[in-house]
Amino acid sequence: MQRISISQKRKMQNPFIQFFKFFYLNIRILKIVAGGHGGTR
Amino acid sequence: MAKILVLGAGIAGHTAAAHLRRKLSKEHEILVVSPNRNYQWVPSNIWVGIGRMKPKEVIFPLEPLYKRKGIGYKQAKAVSFHPEGDSSETNPYILVEGVFGEKLGKQEKVTYDYLINATGPKLAFDLTEGLNPGTNKVYSVCTYDHADHASKALHQLINEIKKSDKKVKILIGTGHGKATCQGAAFEYILNVEKELQKFGVRDKAEITWISNEYELGDFGMDGMLMEYNGFNMKSKDMIEMIFEDRGIKWILGAAVNKVEDGLVHYENLDGEFKTETFDFGMLIPAFSGHGFQAYDKTGQNITEKLFKGFMIVDADYTSKPYEDWSVQDWPETYQNPSYKNIFAPGIAFAPPHSISKPRKSKNGTEIFPSPPRTGMPSGITAKLVADNIIDSIKLGKESMHHKGSLGNMGAACIASAGYGLTQGSGVSITTYPIVPDYKKYGETGGRDIKKTFGDIGLAGHWVKLSLHYAFLYKAKMKPFWWLIPE
Repeated sequence: MQRISISQKRKMQNPFIQFFKFFYLNIRILKIVAGGHGGTR
Repeated sequence: MAKILVLGAGIAGHTAAAHLRRKLSKEHEILVVSPNRNYQWVPSNIWVGIGRMKPKEVIFPLEPLYKRKGIGYKQAKAVSFHPEGDSSETNPYILVEGVFGEKLGKQEKVTYDYLINATGPKLAFDLTEGLNPGTNKVYSVCTYDHADHASKALHQLINEIKKSDKKVKILIGTGHGKATCQGAAFEYILNVEKELQKFGVRDKAEITWISNEYELGDFGMDGMLMEYNGFNMKSKDMIEMIFEDRGIKWILGAAVNKVEDGLVHYENLDGEFKTETFDFGMLIPAFSGHGFQAYDKTGQNITEKLFKGFMIVDADYTSKPYEDWSVQDWPETYQNPSYKNIFAPGIAFAPPHSISKPRKSKNGTEIFPSPPRTGMPSGITAKLVADNIIDSIKLGKESMHHKGSLGNMGAACIASAGYGLTQGSGVSITTYPIVPDYKKYGETGGRDIKKTFGDIGLAGHWVKLSLHYAFLYKAKMKPFWWLIPE
């Protein structure tokens, strides 16, 4: 069953778009995981 | 001078040892005891399991690195814990047994001032009859040699179906009612599907996901609401979309209890006993504690002070209804309450309760994922334990300022969905916090929606690949390794 459209798949595999997304993802992930942690009590 | 003993050299043990060595002067001794001679970057075992990486690309030998860095190393396994010493040894110690070479089978007492128990889980294949990897057409990707074995079997199957009209069934998921690490199985099923496409045999294989999850996308974290492409989507819907798009079927709420040659037996939440045939299977086993025993100085068994399956730490283990569970139950310093010089970061600590809602079949069988603590949380908890020990040594008194509850910590799961520099794909999911805080984030399923997002595409593959190289660089303690976060 085609749940992801052809145009979406093209975007997902487009190296030019994904090149920028790579940096965006890295920065976003880094902000979340390296953004600190602590206690809850 | 203090002696810090680290049991285990996986992500948690190795991270702790590396930070301790970097921050403590050479007068303090750091000793790692592990039965494994190699460090392995476990997240890349997925690629070993499809033949896209060789085992040597995900491992390196520990002893030469430790020798160079001034970290002691013994290739041995822990046998028993003696936190008060005994009649002949006044210091606390661990009884260890050599597992290689001249020391094979020889036991010795290894004393310590501080103990970091980072022994991780026992891969409890024995809890499911017939699940032993490499038998009954079922494999594992939990270690690099398991994954290598799985790859060979997968490619043998691919070669067979390429040359014939034979149709095959592939079954991937969890091999026990309380198994965890669904993420690894999820990555593997997507990679296998992609490999079948690559070899032009996808139409000859029926691929099925079998899992103890109640819903797709639970991942042992009770699922999550995440931001995806500008709107909020449940992980269930995202994974369902991916599976349907790739023609992957699924069986949920399944407690696999027996595997025979190409046949899996399972019980579902309705209490029905069912079977499923397969030609190639990869099922993640249950994780259990190692069954260590502990003794006081008089030789009396005190295992219940240290272990509850896994090691007891500063969590609230009070038995209470699911509705009363909270993030405050989760540990912050991973310190054993009875023996303050013992810590258990990573998978070695006993979680206070599951994160997913516990469910039982009509026959009373527990069927729900155990909480995941692998990868990033292992590294973070190991580092904070090391930092607390370092502070305590430097200050000359106990200091527990570094805290990191899974209820106040983010995690990233970069799941490979196919290998290839231009044809690869990845499903990137971040979640904050790991344990949902329903009071703080009541409107968004217990998670901070700004920090919980999903993405699918080639960039995710590149991120996972860059993490592979970055974390191996870090583990090898190359220049400025500590700048790479856990």
